[in-house]
Amino acid sequence: MTVEEARGTFSPELVARVEEMAKRYPHRKAALIPAMHFIQAERGGWFSDETIRDTAALFGVPDMHVRGIVGFYDMFHDAPVGKHVVRLCKTLSCHLRGAAKLREHIRERYGVGNGETTADGAFTFKCFECLGHCANAPMMLVDDRKCLDLTVEKLDEILGGLR
Amino acid sequence: MKETRVMLEFADDPAQRTLEGYRGNGGYQALEKALKEMKPDDVTEEVVKSGLRGRGGAGFPTGRKWKFVPKGNEKPKYIAVNADESEPGTCKDRVIMEQDPHQMLEGTLLAAYAVGATTAYVYIRGEYMECIATVEKAIEEARAANLVGKNILGTDFSCDIWVHPGAGAYICGEETALLTSLEGNRGYPRIKPPFPAVEGLWRCPTVVNNVETLACVTHIIKRGGPWFASLGCEGSTGTRLFGISGHVKRPGVYELECGKGTLREVIETFAGGTLSGRPIQGVFPGGSSFQVLKGDELDVRFDIDSVAKAGSSLGSGAIAVFDDSVRAVDVALNVAEFYAHESCGQCTPCREGADWVRNMLQRFADGEARKGDIELLMDVTDKMNGTTICALAVAIVFPIQSFLRKFRPEFEACIAKVTA
Repeated sequence: MTVEEARGTFSPELVARVEEMAKRYPHRKAALIPAMHFIQAERGGWFSDETIRDTAALFGVPDMHVRGIVGFYDMFHDAPVGKHVVRLCKTLSCHLRGAAKLREHIRERYGVGNGETTADGAFTFKCFECLGHCANAPMMLVDDRKCLDLTVEKLDEILGGLR
Repeated sequence: MKETRVMLEFADDPAQRTLEGYRGNGGYQALEKALKEMKPDDVTEEVVKSGLRGRGGAGFPTGRKWKFVPKGNEKPKYIAVNADESEPGTCKDRVIMEQDPHQMLEGTLLAAYAVGATTAYVYIRGEYMECIATVEKAIEEARAANLVGKNILGTDFSCDIWVHPGAGAYICGEETALLTSLEGNRGYPRIKPPFPAVEGLWRCPTVVNNVETLACVTHIIKRGGPWFASLGCEGSTGTRLFGISGHVKRPGVYELECGKGTLREVIETFAGGTLSGRPIQGVFPGGSSFQVLKGDELDVRFDIDSVAKAGSSLGSGAIAVFDDSVRAVDVALNVAEFYAHESCGQCTPCREGADWVRNMLQRFADGEARKGDIELLMDVTDKMNGTTICALAVAIVFPIQSFLRKFRPEFEACIAKVTA
């Protein structure tokens, strides 16, 4: 697939954005990871084999390079996800303030463990390592929304409202 | 003890996030002063005089780092702002970026002017979505006001700044991994030397500085190196942001001068001691990558060198406190899980070792450890020490060995009574 053909597989808005980003660097490849956030969002929230192929072609790198990036960075998904992605911090400060209890509660109430999607497809649940809000522990991200100083009640209010 | 607010002076004012608000409080005066009254080397000298040490964890003198950058213009030079804050317990660079982003940008421009860089990338961890949006907006405002871009403030100094979002990998906070990641790869650390100041981004000289470090630079140039050096104490000059978290009454980010009290006093005064009122069992004074201090080891003076002498580190300004309601074994396991997840997999001792350590600690936590497992853990961690490209392996060795030494009876109690 040529770069031109790869461009055709994405929306013109995304292509324009990627090309603008690529100009910030002396080498096009540097824009790959920032661009992959937008690509993932446009392609339903995860990297299928097809999306990996299109992305690799857009940047002129081997498919395996993109696959390696997807596998390495926690924010990229290699399997379909729900409408929302819930990232619960599980590291030290959140752990000390009860993150494990929240995780247990999520399993019981919503039926999902780490990496699983609810039966209704409302959200995919992921346990994340330190999310940098240690003074507001425990906390989670729902897509790009921060939910701080969580309690079971607060958590239910937020997760119960996800559609 | 009380807070000394320099970087956080205006943090509570929402207007400070805008260029207009920031300028209204004296913002970009340091840049104007540097560009119009100082030579690049004068800026570096002022930073040397200030005694500023990097706020990312290693505490390397910032001025000295800048001096490693070769003179001349054979290759382009870069600034990489390390905003990949991910060390467990650390949440202070985020406060700067969300509440007062321009002071970081001004410091970045000052660093670029000092070393002759023409492009700066702010590598922000992908999970910091609000920071990414706030800093991008701040850059656009600054660009529109001719503070970023070509011929800044009508001088012949030009520098562009771009936000570069990461995508979730702790290792990218390691300076060479950050560069590898920024170039569009898995974040693998590189062998040093060459150091980034000589061979960094695309093998060009690159200064990698932490967000808070660059925020300090702004205040140093504005008010002078000697003024900064007069704050804090010898070896830990200026003010520093500390996140205090865990089992404390008032978790938060506080701006403190070092050397004005003990670690215990810092925890008591600012965070109000433990929430439960129970005794402190242990404290990570500077993130989980360094040794834990026990509750009876907290009367150490609160500064970089004193805490180092006490066998730990102020690291990245992350004080995590746990009381006696949690088992030390479980805290150690949580720490090991983090590093096992975050090992980049490049070096065998770290990739395999981190997993082994995690699995063995799980056995302890389950009460199924075997006789000799403490010695085996010490042996495995010894073999990870100094045998890898970067410091992630020792970030397992330091805390885990300190737990095994300091809480040994607790670990012994987890050895199964009957072993095969």
